[in-house]
Amino acid sequence: MDLDADLIAGHLQELRRGTVVLACLTRLRTPDYGYSLLESLDGLDIQVDANTLYPLLRRLEKQGLLTSEWNTAESRPRKFYRTSPAGDGLAATLAADWDRLTTSLHRLAEGELP
Amino acid sequence: MTELTDRYVWAAVRTVPEPQRSDLEPEIRELIEETVEAHLASGEEPSAAERAALVQLGDPERLAADYADRSLTLIGPRYYLAWMRLLKTLLATVVPIVTAVVFLAQFLGQGEVGAAIGGAVATALSVTVHVGFWTTLVFAILERAGATDAGLEWTPEGLPALPDHSRHGRLPDLVASLVFLGVLAGAVLWQQVRSVVRADDGSVIPLLDPALWSFWLPWFLALIVLEAGFAVRLYLRDWSWAAAVVNLCLALAFAVPAVLLWSEGRLLNPAFLDAVGWDPAAATGGGWTVASIITAVVVLIAAWDVVDGFLKARRASAPVPRHPVLVDH
Repeated sequence: MDLDADLIAGHLQELRRGTVVLACLTRLRTPDYGYSLLESLDGLDIQVDANTLYPLLRRLEKQGLLTSEWNTAESRPRKFYRTSPAGDGLAATLAADWDRLTTSLHRLAEGELP
Repeated sequence: MTELTDRYVWAAVRTVPEPQRSDLEPEIRELIEETVEAHLASGEEPSAAERAALVQLGDPERLAADYADRSLTLIGPRYYLAWMRLLKTLLATVVPIVTAVVFLAQFLGQGEVGAAIGGAVATALSVTVHVGFWTTLVFAILERAGATDAGLEWTPEGLPALPDHSRHGRLPDLVASLVFLGVLAGAVLWQQVRSVVRADDGSVIPLLDPALWSFWLPWFLALIVLEAGFAVRLYLRDWSWAAAVVNLCLALAFAVPAVLLWSEGRLLNPAFLDAVGWDPAAATGGGWTVASIITAVVVLIAAWDVVDGFLKARRASAPVPRHPVLVDH
């Protein structure tokens, strides 16, 4: 039986929800602006819409996880974000949890019973 | 940067408070420009690229709400259940109380049943709308103010009682039925011997036509006795399909003669009507006669009684599940 495409998309979205934050915090240890970040994530097969990513970056900045600076040296003004020390700490916590989950899921998939 | 982009930016920033706009505008402009740039890079014409970029970014108000982390629901999941419970409680208590008070006040003040019913119905509708509107408004404000939900939390003490299918649980029904039937039988007898209305010579004028004592009033009294016996049987043995059919027969045996006698004007004592100077066939304020209103009420009550009997029979005859908590709820 083929699963409904919408159903699959919905579950994938649920699964990926928090990973964009982790990807941003990790990637922005090197400062970058929104669209460039989007393209580099896209190149790594982490897909996110621009209209989701830009508000997300602003929220993470408000939470003190990112710092920002406007770069007006080029033809267009761009807001560059960089992961703050607090964001770095959160990224480490999230990454550790991600690894733990991956291990758990693999053990589950291999049929291991608690 | 064209007028279309400017309009998009304006549509987005005008939905946030003034002080945040200068902060938000450059961010949205950057987002639009970069998106347009991506479309240009894939070989689109400048105007088509701009249009496509704006379409891709979607509704500017939604985008601004995402930036401001603002809720796009009237009442979100945090308050929905509290809102629903409070609304149900208020509607189930305030509306009937206010409606009954208005009905009694108008009926006692003006003595017209039709006008009082009309006033009560209008009040019930308006109170329902007001309760719904103001409750929802308060919760919509709470949702936006982000207040802590003090006093609205769910607690285990608030859990509903399990449905009681034991005989004990049917006791209130039995008491209510017997009290009602006793009052009804008492009223039929009392109006004959000690009516409130008396003739000039001091003799009693009964409310019901004394000619009915030849057959119909004993019939109704006998039915009341049968109903009482039936109520006791329901208490002892619970509802069943057979009981629902008996209930139907009893209801028909009572309501059909009552309605026929009433609509033919044979139920009330003509001397009583003369003495109080009242004509139930006269139209009231609403255009309904008191007679037709009472007929409608009797038919509705009888119909509900019959339907209720079958509903209870269906509930009682449902297969008993292994786990008693999951009974039919």
